[in-house]
Parts: sequence; structure tokens; C-alpha cells
Amino acid sequence: MPPKYHIETSQAPNRFQKITRSGIIAWEEGCLKCARCVKKDCVYQVYEKRNLDDRQMLDSLDSVCMDCFRCVQNCPNRLIHKGLNPSYKVLGDHYWTPEIISGLWFQAESGRIPVSGAGYGGPFSGPGFDAMWTDMSEIVRPTRDGIHGREYISTTVDIGRKVMSLEFGPDGEIISPAPPLVEIPLPVIFDILPWSPPGDRIPLSLLYGARALGTFAIIRQSAINNAVREFLPNAIIYVDGNPGGLNTQLLRSARIIEIPDGEGAIALQERLRSMNPDLVVMIRMKLSPKTPEQALTLVAQGAEVLHLVADEYGLEEGKDPLFIKERLKEVHLYLVNKGIRDQITLLGGGGIAMAEHMAKLIICGADAISIDIPLLAAMECRVCRRCKEGISCPVELDDVDPVWGSLRIVNLMAAWHSQLLEILGAMGIREARRLRGEMGRAMFFEDLEREIFATMGKRG
Amino acid sequence: MDQRTAGLNIAIFFCQQLDVNQDKNRRSLEKELGPRIRFFPLPCSGRIDPLHLLRALESGADMVYLIACPEGACRYREGNLRAKKRVRYAQQLIEEIGLEGVRIEMINRTAEMPDDIDAIARELLARDAKVSISPVRSNAILSFMQK
Repeated sequence: MPPKYHIETSQAPNRFQKITRSGIIAWEEGCLKCARCVKKDCVYQVYEKRNLDDRQMLDSLDSVCMDCFRCVQNCPNRLIHKGLNPSYKVLGDHYWTPEIISGLWFQAESGRIPVSGAGYGGPFSGPGFDAMWTDMSEIVRPTRDGIHGREYISTTVDIGRKVMSLEFGPDGEIISPAPPLVEIPLPVIFDILPWSPPGDRIPLSLLYGARALGTFAIIRQSAINNAVREFLPNAIIYVDGNPGGLNTQLLRSARIIEIPDGEGAIALQERLRSMNPDLVVMIRMKLSPKTPEQALTLVAQGAEVLHLVADEYGLEEGKDPLFIKERLKEVHLYLVNKGIRDQITLLGGGGIAMAEHMAKLIICGADAISIDIPLLAAMECRVCRRCKEGISCPVELDDVDPVWGSLRIVNLMAAWHSQLLEILGAMGIREARRLRGEMGRAMFFEDLEREIFATMGKRG
Repeated sequence: MDQRTAGLNIAIFFCQQLDVNQDKNRRSLEKELGPRIRFFPLPCSGRIDPLHLLRALESGADMVYLIACPEGACRYREGNLRAKKRVRYAQQLIEEIGLEGVRIEMINRTAEMPDDIDAIARELLARDAKVSISPVRSNAILSFMQK
């Protein structure tokens, strides 16, 4: 048995004050100067450690406060008022909600799973991934020393084309060609970021992180420079320009390369393979209603890995777009029906914002997933997209130290890995590979709604 | 000469209740002026502390504005009244060290004023510059104006 995959975490403090859900709204004048000030009683010593971040004019009182409301209740003159912070409410957008962003910050800072103690007060279903529940029936059977102890749950997945049968020669030697396969210990690769401040520091943080985790980060061919070259064993080069511009040495040291979908994709795959027979070639496709058919054609022509990408909200291209989980389910089942699903690796990306989305997309048929915005959020990004408009980043991401950035990414992935283990353990599945396409172990809101209400209102 | 032409660095603290779309509305001005303008949204103008105003001047602002809701229309009842006292206190403090008190100014939004932060800020920038570049600026840490 291979050694257990474990991600080492370390505290990586924020560089900027966090935007918190609640904040002090007002201090009233009129302090009684009483002998036992409630500020001294603060169990988190918030008032003693108070400071002001002059880059954002944010008071540490707001970011360090744990919302116990002790000071608000006990001040004899009712001087301290707390309320919801309007800056928190406007974080991100309808999909990348303040709760998701602040959850990512927490995980990146500490490497811990976010746990809310006061129960779940939200709705039981919603759009996208929220319309899906996983079967946690095995949660009643805790293992002797837990899924993080001696129990072995593998999160390893393979990227590449799979051999369906072996052919043997007269002397028992294997004569069927074995296409190259790359194993990653975590079913996550780092995708090209949809937007980010310019400079090398962010891609370097991703590459440092990918190296520490043993996974890969996709880097555009045009972004390759001497600083990036050192990380080639953990980089997937995305051919966004002339493939002839890739030098032979670069191609020989790369393990995975990604090419855009198009007419010449398979020819290009073969050409690249002829230069490096150990190279795994991924084809990047924008998710659309045509994807199942296109995928079938590509697999028949010899494609190895299809990377199906939705937009940052998880939506495909075109009018009335479907959400990634629906379309990926369709692609997976279509290939299953054609009997060729096991030959290829499907990667899904776009709109993956939480650890549960990773597990849910794998259940819908992806072998592994690619993430983008959570990596930026790990480095304190507020998903304001100011950099996209050429305005300076409020958290100076262009100035990020790649070592610190990678620590935050490793922490985030450690938290996601732990959550994946929890889900796998609760589902009684011992391998991420076996989670793929396990739709029978999940419930989909649309299916349940149809089953329950479809017959209602029908006469006769 | 207006404040923009005079090359002044402007820090604007404002109550977020004034403009719910402040995050989007202020972007065009931030893009135009870059580090010469900084916006600091507050949940209520009553959250301002004299320290905020002084810190802004210390780190390179030539003019510091606090834009609050009209008197009597504070969501938290007295926030803007408390802010007024604190602005006055901060003005006294800077006068004591020889800076012009007018470098800190509080503005209560009136019915005639536009309701988005971009337009309000543009009106402020179009005003005549009452002060020149701050003497503090040459020695300032410039921590927030640099970005």
C-alpha cells in the first residue's frame, strides 16, 4: 500500500484585515469610566490588541471579534453597537457569495474545515450544486480509529487514457501499447485564472502550491518564463499560441500538456506525442449542448483527457445554459451508454467554489476537477474583479509573496482534502476513483420533485 | 484651481447607506485618478474615529472628507451627529500642529446633491482647492496613497 497522502498545514495569517459579517456600527460618547470596563473582560482580548490598518482604514476590532456580544450586552451605558457590515454584504456576487468567500479565507488561513456551531439556518435546496444531496448512510458506522487515522481512504486519481484490455505475446509479454498515465494524489488541478492582477507572483504561488501538493497548475504557453521553468514537472502547459513555438526541451520535460479543442486537436495531440511519447495531452473544451457528441467523436479518434470548462458561474455556453453538473452528468452517461466512458479521463471545471462541489462534480461523472477562483480567494481575493477593470487590487495581490501564497493554497487544499475524506467516509467509499459517476448514491432535487409531484394534478 | 488640477490627494470616508451600489459606482473615478483618490466606506458615519482622519492625513492625503447622511436621517439615529463632533475634534488637533483645519471636512448630503458616490466625489473634486499640497506629504509614509 502506498504511503498515506497527508497535507501538512501551517497557520498563514492574513495580510489584510478580513471583512467580517458584523462590525461595530457606532461608539457613543459618554463613557462612565467605570472601574470594570467590559473591554477588559473580552475573552478574545479584542480591545487590548486593537489596531488600525491604514491601507484600508479597517479596525481590528471588527476582524478579530468573534461576535459573542458580551461587550454589547454588559456595557452599563450601552455604548457599543454592533450590526451587519454592509461591506460584507457586497462581497463577490450572486454565485460567489460572502459566505463562500469568507469560508475560503478561513480555510486558507488555518487549513481547517469550517464548522458552524449554531446549526444550519438556510434553505434545504437551491440552484446548482445545492440541488444535490449525497448519501451519507455510512456515517452511522464510524471506523475504529477514524478516517484520518489508520483507515485508508485514497483520493488518488489517474489522468490519461485507460487501457480496456491487455494483449499478450507468445512469451507472455504485454504487447498492447500502454498510453502514458499521470497519477495525482488529490482530484484537483489548478486552472488558468479567469482574471488576476498582472505579474509573475500569482502564477508562481500556484506552481509552488501544486508542487507541494503533488498536483498540477495549468500555465499558458505565453506565460512561460525562466521563473516558471523550474516548476515544469508540476505545470500543464496550455498551448494558446503557435504550437511550433514550444521548444523541444520544454516538451520533453513536460508531463501533461493542454491544447484547445478544434479541428486539428487530435492531429496536434499526435504531433506532440511523437516528440514526447510519455506526454499526456488534455483537450480543453468549452461546455455546451454539443459537448456529449463532440466528446464521443474525440474519444473515438483517440483523445485521452477531456477538460470540460464552464464559466465562472458554472454555466455552459449558449442560450439558456445548463449548469455544469447537469451537462457533465449528460456527457458521462452518454459515454457510459456508448461503452467508452472508461477509456478516457474527464476533468470538469468552472463554478467550483466549495469542497462539496468537488465531490458532487465527481459524482456527476468527472474523474477530477479544476479550480480557479478559490485559489485567488485563498490569497485573500475579494472577488471584486477590480483588476479586470485595471483598478488596483484592494488586497495588493500583485505583490503577494509566492511562498505565503502557496502556504494559503496548500491550507485550502488540505481543508478540501479533509472534507473529501469526510464525504467518502460517510458514503462508505474508500477511493475517490470509485466515487466517479456514483449517481445512485446521490439525490437530485429535480428528480425528487418529478417523482413526488409529477402525478399530481393529473386526471384519470 | 479645482482640487483635481491642484494635484491633491483625496481620502473620502463615507456612509454606505448613502449609496448601496457604492462599490461599483466609485470604480470609474478610482480608475481615472488611481492612487490619488481613496474611498473608505463606513457602515455608518458614526463609526468614524478621529484616528481614521488623522491617519489618512499622515499617510499622504491632502484633503480628507467625511460624507454622511442628512442630519436627522441617520439609520442609527445619531451616527452623523457623533461624527460631526469627532470631525471637529480632529480639526482642532491638526490645527494645534499647524495644519489647516479645513483639510478635514464633513459633508452632510442634501436633497440637491446626487445620490451616487461617484457624482458626489466629482462635485467635491470640482471645488476650488482651499489648501495646497500637504506639508506632511513630503515626509508621509504614503502607505495608502502608494497603491
